[in-house]
Amino acid sequence: MRDTYIFLGVLLLFAAVNIGLVANGTLAADWTGLGIIVAAGMTLALYSFLYKDNPLFKFAEHVFVGVAAAYVFGQTWYPTLYGELIAEWTDPGEGETPNWWLLAPTVLGLLMLTRFSLRFGWLSRYAFAFFVGLAAGWTIPRYISSFILAQIEPTLQPLTWSLEGLNLLVVLVGVIGVLVYFFFSVEHTGTAGHISKVGIWFLMISFGASFGYTIMARISLLIGRVTFLLDDWLHLM
Amino acid sequence: MMHKLLAIDRRIIFALVFLSVAGPLLAGISLPITPTNEVKAAYDQFEKLDAGDIVLVSFSYGASTQPEMLPMSRAMLRHAFRRDLKVVAICLWPEAPGLAQQVLEEMTAEFDLEYGVDYAFMGYKPGNFSVILNMGQDFHSAFPQDQWGAETGDLDLTRGLRSLRDFDLVLDLAAGDSIEFWWIPYGQEKYGFTFVAGCTAVMAPDLYPFLDSGQLGGLLGGLAGAAEYETLIDRRGSASTGMSAQSMAHLVIVVFVLMGNIAYFAVRRTSSEQRS
Repeated sequence: MRDTYIFLGVLLLFAAVNIGLVANGTLAADWTGLGIIVAAGMTLALYSFLYKDNPLFKFAEHVFVGVAAAYVFGQTWYPTLYGELIAEWTDPGEGETPNWWLLAPTVLGLLMLTRFSLRFGWLSRYAFAFFVGLAAGWTIPRYISSFILAQIEPTLQPLTWSLEGLNLLVVLVGVIGVLVYFFFSVEHTGTAGHISKVGIWFLMISFGASFGYTIMARISLLIGRVTFLLDDWLHLM
Repeated sequence: MMHKLLAIDRRIIFALVFLSVAGPLLAGISLPITPTNEVKAAYDQFEKLDAGDIVLVSFSYGASTQPEMLPMSRAMLRHAFRRDLKVVAICLWPEAPGLAQQVLEEMTAEFDLEYGVDYAFMGYKPGNFSVILNMGQDFHSAFPQDQWGAETGDLDLTRGLRSLRDFDLVLDLAAGDSIEFWWIPYGQEKYGFTFVAGCTAVMAPDLYPFLDSGQLGGLLGGLAGAAEYETLIDRRGSASTGMSAQSMAHLVIVVFVLMGNIAYFAVRRTSSEQRS
């Protein structure tokens, strides 16, 4: 019951604040003003989850999922599926003939949708086989080149008596330590155990750095929304 | 006391984090910002270009990361246009076109630029890395029309662009894995262009090895990277304003981490003493 009162109180407060903002001219009584009010309401509704799960949060969440899905569909349908596929056949332009070669990838794409049918699901294997083969052919040489060969070079630079040399040494020790840690064919005892412990330390430091950056990212998003609420909505900044 | 500290209501922590963010924003506190080497490197890549050189800007982020990505998009575009560079913008994320159009309109209006001559917006193309391969082989085939349906071959800026090699610099503004899994293996490595990136803070640690290898010519990580770039171009924006709030929120989180650990070890010590 207490939560219901809080819920209704917040709704009334939000309405009162917006009426006040529009009445004193802080927010324009037009579509832009309405957009800001809706955005502020959605922001507060989503953050209300931090207090407790509630109908406002659920409403905002469902609206977001629906809008995002429709937006992505629109972006994919109009410029690409319609613009570069269907229009190629139905409206090829003056002096141009329909590009029927596009039927091949279209059929392969449609075959993927047969996964939803128990009877015809096997047809999707042809499309997946084509896609997996193509992607593997593209990916394997490019990844070996970009992620292994190109990364070996800066790791194996000559060591020097300088800060840069120390940096290289740290990188080298880290790479060897982590590689040994992930080498499971040898029991991690004795020398291998000591080196793998060094690897664990490097991994822990790496996870810590990633976690720190993640906190920074999340706080940045909070700053963005708080700035919107204080500046664009309430005009307090 | 220590038990109470460990059982503190999480909503108190949320409220304090909110206050630590809102307080500095309302007070307008400004802290000094020192650019890091990777941000300076990205800035220098733009400085090396001559007026009229063409930069490909790929927008690969959505609304959920806009607070981090918009300030850096704004700062880097402002730098590019200030140096009279031409910008061709593309989107490899379906959510990106609206956001890209917004920042492009804002920046091109500020510099009074002409569409099709000083900049072009090609819109969104699905296909992830295959679009990059396609652009490498034939830019016009990958983007036959711009965002508003004009033929790529009819725009002055894009008429002569045939491949990714025709761009003097490529910039990816990304909130996903497009930098390391799309642009580096299928674009930079294959076509050898100069490549710089701006990304969310979550992604930044994974990208540092690519700076050492030279596959990335510069990197902006999150709001901090954007604030550093704003400092370099001498134009404070929303990122610089947000950094004081960021620092205060980090301070609050560090204090809670320390308090939590002290309380945890104190309780553990008391418990073991009671047992013995």
